Amino acid sequence: MNDAEAVRAVLAGDIEQYAVLVRRYRDRYAGYATRLLGSVDAAEDAMQEALIRAYDNLGQCRDPANFRGWFFLILRNSCYAEARARRRHEDHEPLNEAALVADGAGRPDSAMEETERRQDLERALWRLTEEQREVFVLKHYEGLPYEEIAKRTAVPVSSLKMRMHRAYDRLRATLMEKP
Amino acid sequence: MTDGPGYHPMVRRLLDGELTLQDLPPELQSEGEAALRSILPRCAPPPVSFSPSFEQRVMAAVRSRPRPRPRNAWGWLGEVREIRLQLRPRLLALGVLAGIVLVALTSRLRSGSLAGTAAGGGTDSVYVRFVLYAPKVSSVALAGSFNEWDPTRTPLVPAGETGVWTVTLPLAPGQHTYAFVIDGQRWLPDPAAPAVDDGFGHHNSVMTVTATGGHTS
Repeated sequence: MNDAEAVRAVLAGDIEQYAVLVRRYRDRYAGYATRLLGSVDAAEDAMQEALIRAYDNLGQCRDPANFRGWFFLILRNSCYAEARARRRHEDHEPLNEAALVADGAGRPDSAMEETERRQDLERALWRLTEEQREVFVLKHYEGLPYEEIAKRTAVPVSSLKMRMHRAYDRLRATLMEKP
Repeated sequence: MTDGPGYHPMVRRLLDGELTLQDLPPELQSEGEAALRSILPRCAPPPVSFSPSFEQRVMAAVRSRPRPRPRNAWGWLGEVREIRLQLRPRLLALGVLAGIVLVALTSRLRSGSLAGTAAGGGTDSVYVRFVLYAPKVSSVALAGSFNEWDPTRTPLVPAGETGVWTVTLPLAPGQHTYAFVIDGQRWLPDPAAPAVDDGFGHHNSVMTVTATGGHTS
Protein backbone atom coordinates (compact mmCIF):
# COMPACT_ATOMS: atom_id res chain seq x y z
CA MET A 1 0.00 0.00 0.00
CA ASN A 2 1.53 3.30 -1.02
CA ASP A 3 1.26 6.54 0.91
CA ALA A 4 -1.63 7.94 -1.09
CA GLU A 5 -3.66 4.75 -0.67
CA ALA A 6 -3.00 4.72 3.07
CA VAL A 7 -3.97 8.36 3.47
CA ARG A 8 -7.18 7.89 1.51
CA ALA A 9 -8.04 4.75 3.48
CA VAL A 10 -7.63 6.57 6.78
CA LEU A 11 -9.68 9.53 5.59
CA ALA A 12 -12.36 7.09 4.46
CA GLY A 13 -12.58 5.77 8.01
CA ASP A 14 -10.15 2.83 8.09
CA ILE A 15 -7.90 4.36 10.72
CA GLU A 16 -5.97 1.13 11.29
CA GLN A 17 -4.28 1.77 7.95
CA TYR A 18 -2.49 4.66 9.61
CA ALA A 19 -0.18 2.03 11.09
CA VAL A 20 1.27 1.60 7.60
CA LEU A 21 2.43 5.20 7.66
CA VAL A 22 3.56 4.95 11.29
CA ARG A 23 5.85 2.01 10.54
CA ARG A 24 7.10 3.44 7.27
CA TYR A 25 8.08 6.85 8.61
CA ARG A 26 9.25 5.62 11.99
CA ASP A 27 11.81 3.50 10.17
CA ARG A 28 12.68 6.13 7.58
CA TYR A 29 13.23 9.04 9.92
CA ALA A 30 14.25 7.44 13.23
CA GLY A 31 17.90 8.10 12.45
CA TYR A 32 17.27 11.68 11.39
CA ALA A 33 15.30 12.53 14.52
CA THR A 34 17.68 10.73 16.86
CA ARG A 35 20.79 12.37 15.50
CA LEU A 36 19.13 15.75 15.41
CA LEU A 37 18.01 15.50 19.04
CA GLY A 38 20.85 13.45 20.42
CA SER A 39 18.82 10.74 22.09
CA VAL A 40 16.42 8.00 21.13
CA ASP A 41 13.99 9.02 23.88
CA ALA A 42 13.74 12.56 22.58
CA ALA A 43 13.41 11.29 19.02
CA GLU A 44 10.57 8.96 20.00
CA ASP A 45 8.73 11.83 21.67
CA ALA A 46 9.18 14.09 18.65
CA MET A 47 8.21 11.35 16.21
CA GLN A 48 5.11 10.43 18.22
CA GLU A 49 4.05 14.05 18.41
CA ALA A 50 4.59 14.46 14.67
CA LEU A 51 2.66 11.34 13.75
CA ILE A 52 -0.29 12.37 15.91
CA ARG A 53 -0.29 15.90 14.52
CA ALA A 54 -0.12 14.50 11.00
CA TYR A 55 -3.09 12.26 11.81
CA ASP A 56 -5.11 15.14 13.25
CA ASN A 57 -4.42 17.22 10.15
CA LEU A 58 -4.52 14.47 7.57
CA GLY A 59 -7.41 16.15 5.84
CA GLN A 60 -5.11 19.10 5.16
CA CYS A 61 -2.66 16.94 3.23
CA ARG A 62 -3.66 18.24 -0.17
CA ASP A 63 -1.48 15.82 -2.09
CA PRO A 64 -1.59 12.38 -0.43
CA ALA A 65 1.03 11.10 -2.86
CA ASN A 66 3.40 13.61 -1.30
CA PHE A 67 2.70 12.58 2.28
CA ARG A 68 6.43 12.05 2.78
CA GLY A 69 7.34 15.70 2.13
CA TRP A 70 4.34 16.95 4.09
CA PHE A 71 5.15 14.73 7.05
CA PHE A 72 8.83 15.59 7.01
CA LEU A 73 8.01 19.27 7.62
CA ILE A 74 5.80 18.32 10.55
CA LEU A 75 8.48 16.06 11.99
CA ARG A 76 11.17 18.68 11.55
CA ASN A 77 9.11 21.24 13.42
CA SER A 78 8.35 18.69 16.09
CA CYS A 79 12.06 17.95 16.51
CA TYR A 80 12.91 21.61 16.90
CA ALA A 81 10.09 22.04 19.42
CA GLU A 82 11.31 19.01 21.35
CA ALA A 83 14.85 20.39 21.37
CA ARG A 84 13.62 23.73 22.68
CA ALA A 85 11.52 22.07 25.37
CA ARG A 86 14.40 19.92 26.55
CA ARG A 87 16.72 22.88 26.67
CA ARG A 88 14.21 24.76 28.80
CA HIS A 89 13.97 21.91 31.25
CA GLU A 90 17.68 21.29 31.15
CA ASP A 91 17.12 17.59 31.17
CA HIS A 92 18.84 16.97 27.93
CA GLU A 93 21.38 14.21 27.88
CA PRO A 94 23.61 14.55 24.84
CA LEU A 95 23.82 11.48 22.70
CA ASN A 96 22.47 8.28 23.97
CA GLU A 97 25.63 6.56 22.92
CA ALA A 98 24.47 3.12 23.89
CA ALA A 99 21.79 3.41 21.27
CA LEU A 100 23.69 5.32 18.65
CA VAL A 101 27.16 3.86 18.71
CA ALA A 102 27.70 0.45 17.25
CA ASP A 103 29.44 -2.18 19.24
CA GLY A 104 32.70 -3.00 17.49
CA ALA A 105 33.56 -6.06 19.54
CA GLY A 106 34.56 -9.05 17.52
CA ARG A 107 35.35 -7.10 14.40
CA PRO A 108 38.69 -7.13 12.54
CA ASP A 109 41.15 -4.39 13.54
CA SER A 110 40.53 -2.27 10.46
CA ALA A 111 36.80 -2.45 11.00
CA MET A 112 37.31 -1.63 14.67
CA GLU A 113 39.23 1.50 13.70
CA GLU A 114 36.47 2.58 11.37
CA THR A 115 33.93 1.92 14.08
CA GLU A 116 35.92 4.00 16.54
CA ARG A 117 36.04 6.85 14.05
CA ARG A 118 32.31 6.55 13.61
CA GLN A 119 31.84 6.69 17.38
CA ASP A 120 34.05 9.77 17.64
CA LEU A 121 32.07 11.41 14.88
CA GLU A 122 28.72 10.61 16.51
CA ARG A 123 29.91 12.28 19.70
CA ALA A 124 31.35 15.25 17.83
CA LEU A 125 28.05 15.83 16.02
CA TRP A 126 26.58 17.01 19.28
CA ARG A 127 29.02 19.92 19.33
CA LEU A 128 27.39 21.31 16.19
CA THR A 129 24.49 23.73 16.19
CA GLU A 130 21.09 22.20 15.47
CA GLU A 131 21.07 23.68 12.00
CA GLN A 132 24.54 22.41 11.23
CA ARG A 133 23.71 18.98 12.59
CA GLU A 134 20.53 18.80 10.56
CA VAL A 135 22.20 19.47 7.24
CA PHE A 136 25.02 17.05 8.08
CA VAL A 137 22.58 14.30 9.01
CA LEU A 138 20.40 14.82 5.97
CA LYS A 139 23.34 14.78 3.58
CA HIS A 140 25.68 12.21 5.08
CA TYR A 141 23.29 9.89 6.89
CA GLU A 142 20.12 10.21 4.84
CA GLY A 143 22.09 10.58 1.62
CA LEU A 144 20.14 13.55 0.27
CA PRO A 145 21.70 15.98 -2.20
CA TYR A 146 21.74 19.66 -1.31
CA GLU A 147 18.93 20.38 -3.76
CA GLU A 148 16.61 17.91 -2.03
CA ILE A 149 17.56 19.23 1.42
CA ALA A 150 16.77 22.74 0.22
CA LYS A 151 13.39 21.59 -0.99
CA ARG A 152 12.57 19.93 2.30
CA THR A 153 13.84 22.63 4.61
CA ALA A 154 13.07 25.74 2.55
CA VAL A 155 16.66 26.86 3.03
CA PRO A 156 18.62 27.86 -0.09
CA VAL A 157 21.47 25.63 -1.23
CA SER A 158 24.04 28.36 -0.70
CA SER A 159 23.04 28.70 2.97
CA LEU A 160 23.04 24.93 3.42
CA LYS A 161 26.57 24.71 2.04
CA MET A 162 27.71 27.45 4.35
CA ARG A 163 26.24 25.59 7.34
CA MET A 164 27.80 22.36 6.20
CA HIS A 165 31.24 23.84 5.70
CA ARG A 166 31.13 25.38 9.16
CA ALA A 167 30.07 21.97 10.43
CA TYR A 168 33.09 20.36 8.79
CA ASP A 169 35.41 22.86 10.42
CA ARG A 170 33.82 22.46 13.83
CA LEU A 171 33.91 18.68 13.57
CA ARG A 172 37.57 18.87 12.67
CA ALA A 173 38.29 21.05 15.68
CA THR A 174 36.30 18.76 17.98
CA LEU A 175 37.95 15.62 16.69
CA MET A 176 41.38 17.22 17.09
CA GLU A 177 40.58 17.87 20.76
CA LYS A 178 40.15 14.15 21.34
CA PRO A 179 42.73 12.99 23.89
CA MET B 1 33.76 27.28 20.99
CA THR B 2 36.11 28.30 18.21
CA ASP B 3 36.24 26.16 15.14
CA GLY B 4 40.02 26.16 14.92
CA PRO B 5 41.72 25.74 11.60
CA GLY B 6 39.21 25.27 8.85
CA TYR B 7 39.45 22.88 5.96
CA HIS B 8 40.73 24.14 2.65
CA PRO B 9 37.77 24.99 0.37
CA MET B 10 38.75 22.17 -1.98
CA VAL B 11 38.70 19.71 0.90
CA ARG B 12 35.23 20.90 1.83
CA ARG B 13 34.13 20.22 -1.72
CA LEU B 14 35.75 16.80 -1.43
CA LEU B 15 33.61 16.10 1.64
CA ASP B 16 30.58 17.38 -0.24
CA GLY B 17 31.25 14.81 -2.94
CA GLU B 18 31.89 17.45 -5.59
CA LEU B 19 35.57 16.53 -5.96
CA THR B 20 37.56 13.31 -5.64
CA LEU B 21 40.93 12.86 -4.00
CA GLN B 22 42.47 12.79 -7.46
CA ASP B 23 41.16 16.30 -8.08
CA LEU B 24 43.15 17.70 -5.15
CA PRO B 25 46.64 19.12 -5.68
CA PRO B 26 49.45 17.10 -4.06
CA GLU B 27 49.79 19.49 -1.11
CA LEU B 28 46.15 18.87 -0.14
CA GLN B 29 46.17 15.09 -0.52
CA SER B 30 46.96 14.30 3.10
CA GLU B 31 44.43 16.82 4.43
CA GLY B 32 41.83 15.37 2.11
CA GLU B 33 42.54 11.78 3.14
CA ALA B 34 42.42 12.70 6.82
CA ALA B 35 39.14 14.57 6.34
CA LEU B 36 37.53 11.61 4.61
CA ARG B 37 38.72 9.25 7.35
CA SER B 38 37.46 11.34 10.24
CA ILE B 39 34.38 13.07 8.83
CA LEU B 40 33.06 10.33 6.55
CA PRO B 41 34.01 6.98 8.12
CA ARG B 42 33.44 4.09 5.78
CA CYS B 43 31.60 1.82 8.17
CA ALA B 44 27.84 2.01 8.03
CA PRO B 45 26.20 4.10 10.75
CA PRO B 46 24.50 2.00 13.37
CA PRO B 47 20.79 1.67 12.76
CA VAL B 48 18.52 3.47 15.18
CA SER B 49 15.64 1.49 16.58
CA PHE B 50 12.72 2.80 18.54
CA SER B 51 11.19 0.81 21.33
CA PRO B 52 9.01 -2.10 20.16
CA SER B 53 5.94 -0.49 21.70
CA PHE B 54 6.29 2.72 19.69
CA GLU B 55 3.79 1.78 17.00
CA GLN B 56 1.30 0.58 19.63
CA ARG B 57 1.59 3.85 21.55
CA VAL B 58 1.01 5.96 18.47
CA MET B 59 -1.91 3.87 17.28
CA ALA B 60 -3.47 3.91 20.74
CA ALA B 61 -3.27 7.69 20.72
CA VAL B 62 -4.69 7.81 17.21
CA ARG B 63 -7.66 5.61 18.10
CA SER B 64 -8.56 7.91 20.96
CA ARG B 65 -8.71 10.98 18.74
CA PRO B 66 -11.43 12.28 16.44
CA ARG B 67 -11.26 10.82 12.99
CA PRO B 68 -9.53 13.16 10.55
CA ARG B 69 -11.99 14.67 8.14
CA PRO B 70 -11.43 14.67 4.42
CA ARG B 71 -11.54 18.05 2.78
CA ASN B 72 -14.94 17.62 1.25
CA ALA B 73 -17.90 19.82 0.75
CA TRP B 74 -19.45 18.79 4.06
CA GLY B 75 -16.36 18.49 6.17
CA TRP B 76 -16.22 22.20 6.94
CA LEU B 77 -19.45 21.98 8.90
CA GLY B 78 -17.71 20.45 11.88
CA GLU B 79 -14.29 21.84 11.22
CA VAL B 80 -12.52 24.70 12.94
CA ARG B 81 -11.78 27.34 10.36
CA GLU B 82 -8.08 27.54 10.97
CA ILE B 83 -7.47 30.72 9.05
CA ARG B 84 -10.19 32.87 10.49
CA LEU B 85 -10.36 31.55 14.02
CA GLN B 86 -7.11 29.94 14.93
CA LEU B 87 -4.65 32.57 13.77
CA ARG B 88 -2.72 34.30 16.48
CA PRO B 89 -2.69 38.08 16.16
CA ARG B 90 0.91 38.02 15.01
CA LEU B 91 0.15 35.62 12.20
CA LEU B 92 -2.89 37.61 11.20
CA ALA B 93 -0.71 40.71 11.02
CA LEU B 94 1.85 39.01 8.89
CA GLY B 95 -0.85 37.79 6.57
CA VAL B 96 -2.10 41.33 6.08
CA LEU B 97 1.39 42.50 5.34
CA ALA B 98 1.78 39.73 2.83
CA GLY B 99 -1.25 41.01 1.00
CA ILE B 100 0.06 44.53 0.88
CA VAL B 101 3.33 43.64 -0.70
CA LEU B 102 2.26 40.64 -2.69
CA VAL B 103 2.32 42.19 -6.11
CA ALA B 104 4.21 45.34 -5.33
CA LEU B 105 7.14 44.12 -7.35
CA THR B 106 6.24 42.77 -10.71
CA SER B 107 7.98 43.14 -13.99
CA ARG B 108 7.18 42.04 -17.46
CA LEU B 109 9.31 39.18 -18.65
CA ARG B 110 10.56 40.37 -21.98
CA SER B 111 10.51 37.88 -24.76
CA GLY B 112 13.57 35.70 -24.44
CA SER B 113 15.27 37.81 -21.79
CA LEU B 114 14.70 35.51 -18.89
CA ALA B 115 13.04 32.59 -20.56
CA GLY B 116 13.91 29.25 -19.09
CA THR B 117 15.09 30.58 -15.78
CA ALA B 118 12.30 28.80 -14.00
CA ALA B 119 10.05 25.91 -14.77
CA GLY B 120 6.86 27.07 -16.35
CA GLY B 121 8.24 30.46 -17.24
CA GLY B 122 7.21 31.10 -20.78
CA THR B 123 8.01 34.20 -22.76
CA ASP B 124 4.66 35.73 -21.82
CA SER B 125 5.16 35.16 -18.14
CA VAL B 126 5.35 37.90 -15.59
CA TYR B 127 7.66 37.66 -12.64
CA VAL B 128 5.76 38.10 -9.40
CA ARG B 129 7.52 38.52 -6.12
CA PHE B 130 5.79 37.15 -3.04
CA VAL B 131 6.87 38.61 0.28
CA LEU B 132 5.80 37.50 3.71
CA TYR B 133 6.81 38.87 7.08
CA ALA B 134 6.86 35.83 9.32
CA PRO B 135 9.25 36.06 12.25
CA LYS B 136 9.99 33.02 14.38
CA VAL B 137 8.75 30.44 11.93
CA SER B 138 10.87 27.65 10.52
CA SER B 139 9.66 27.64 6.96
CA VAL B 140 7.34 29.39 4.58
CA ALA B 141 6.25 28.01 1.24
CA LEU B 142 3.83 28.92 -1.47
CA ALA B 143 1.26 26.48 -2.76
CA GLY B 144 -1.06 27.28 -5.55
CA SER B 145 -2.63 26.46 -8.85
CA PHE B 146 0.72 27.17 -10.50
CA ASN B 147 2.64 24.43 -8.67
CA GLU B 148 -0.01 21.75 -8.27
CA TRP B 149 -0.56 22.85 -4.68
CA ASP B 150 2.68 21.19 -3.67
CA PRO B 151 3.81 22.88 -0.42
CA THR B 152 7.35 21.57 -0.87
CA ARG B 153 7.97 22.88 -4.35
CA THR B 154 8.11 26.64 -3.84
CA PRO B 155 9.81 27.55 -0.58
CA LEU B 156 10.24 31.20 0.33
CA VAL B 157 13.76 32.23 1.23
CA PRO B 158 14.44 34.09 4.49
CA ALA B 159 16.18 37.44 4.20
CA GLY B 160 18.69 36.91 6.96
CA GLU B 161 17.22 37.20 10.42
CA THR B 162 14.70 39.90 9.47
CA GLY B 163 11.67 37.61 9.44
CA VAL B 164 11.00 38.53 5.83
CA TRP B 165 10.56 35.64 3.39
CA THR B 166 10.48 36.07 -0.37
CA VAL B 167 10.19 34.16 -3.57
CA THR B 168 9.90 35.33 -7.15
CA LEU B 169 7.97 33.26 -9.67
CA PRO B 170 7.24 33.49 -13.35
CA LEU B 171 3.48 33.28 -13.71
CA ALA B 172 1.51 33.10 -16.90
CA PRO B 173 -1.14 35.76 -17.43
CA GLY B 174 -4.43 34.66 -16.02
CA GLN B 175 -6.00 33.96 -12.68
CA HIS B 176 -4.09 32.05 -10.01
CA THR B 177 -5.16 30.82 -6.61
CA TYR B 178 -2.66 30.35 -3.84
CA ALA B 179 -1.95 30.21 -0.13
CA PHE B 180 1.11 30.47 2.06
CA VAL B 181 2.12 27.39 4.05
CA ILE B 182 3.68 28.20 7.40
CA ASP B 183 5.91 25.55 8.95
CA GLY B 184 4.52 23.03 6.53
CA GLN B 185 1.17 22.94 8.28
CA ARG B 186 -0.63 26.22 8.59
CA TRP B 187 -2.30 27.25 5.36
CA LEU B 188 -2.61 30.98 5.27
CA PRO B 189 -4.63 32.72 2.58
CA ASP B 190 -3.92 36.33 1.93
CA PRO B 191 -6.51 38.34 3.92
CA ALA B 192 -5.92 41.41 1.76
CA ALA B 193 -6.65 39.56 -1.46
CA PRO B 194 -9.97 38.24 -2.68
CA ALA B 195 -10.67 34.78 -1.39
CA VAL B 196 -12.52 31.98 -3.05
CA ASP B 197 -13.98 28.93 -1.44
CA ASP B 198 -12.17 25.95 -2.81
CA GLY B 199 -15.28 23.82 -2.55
CA PHE B 200 -13.87 21.91 0.38
CA GLY B 201 -14.61 24.38 3.13
CA HIS B 202 -11.38 26.37 2.88
CA HIS B 203 -10.44 29.61 1.25
CA ASN B 204 -7.63 30.42 -1.10
CA SER B 205 -6.45 33.78 -2.33
CA VAL B 206 -6.84 34.88 -5.89
CA MET B 207 -4.59 37.02 -8.01
CA THR B 208 -4.82 37.96 -11.64
CA VAL B 209 -1.70 38.34 -13.70
CA THR B 210 -1.94 40.54 -16.76
CA ALA B 211 0.65 41.35 -19.36
CA THR B 212 1.56 44.48 -17.43
CA GLY B 213 1.77 42.96 -13.97
CA GLY B 214 -0.33 41.38 -11.30
CA HIS B 215 -3.16 42.53 -9.14
CA THR B 216 -5.41 41.02 -6.57
CA SER B 217 -8.75 42.36 -7.59
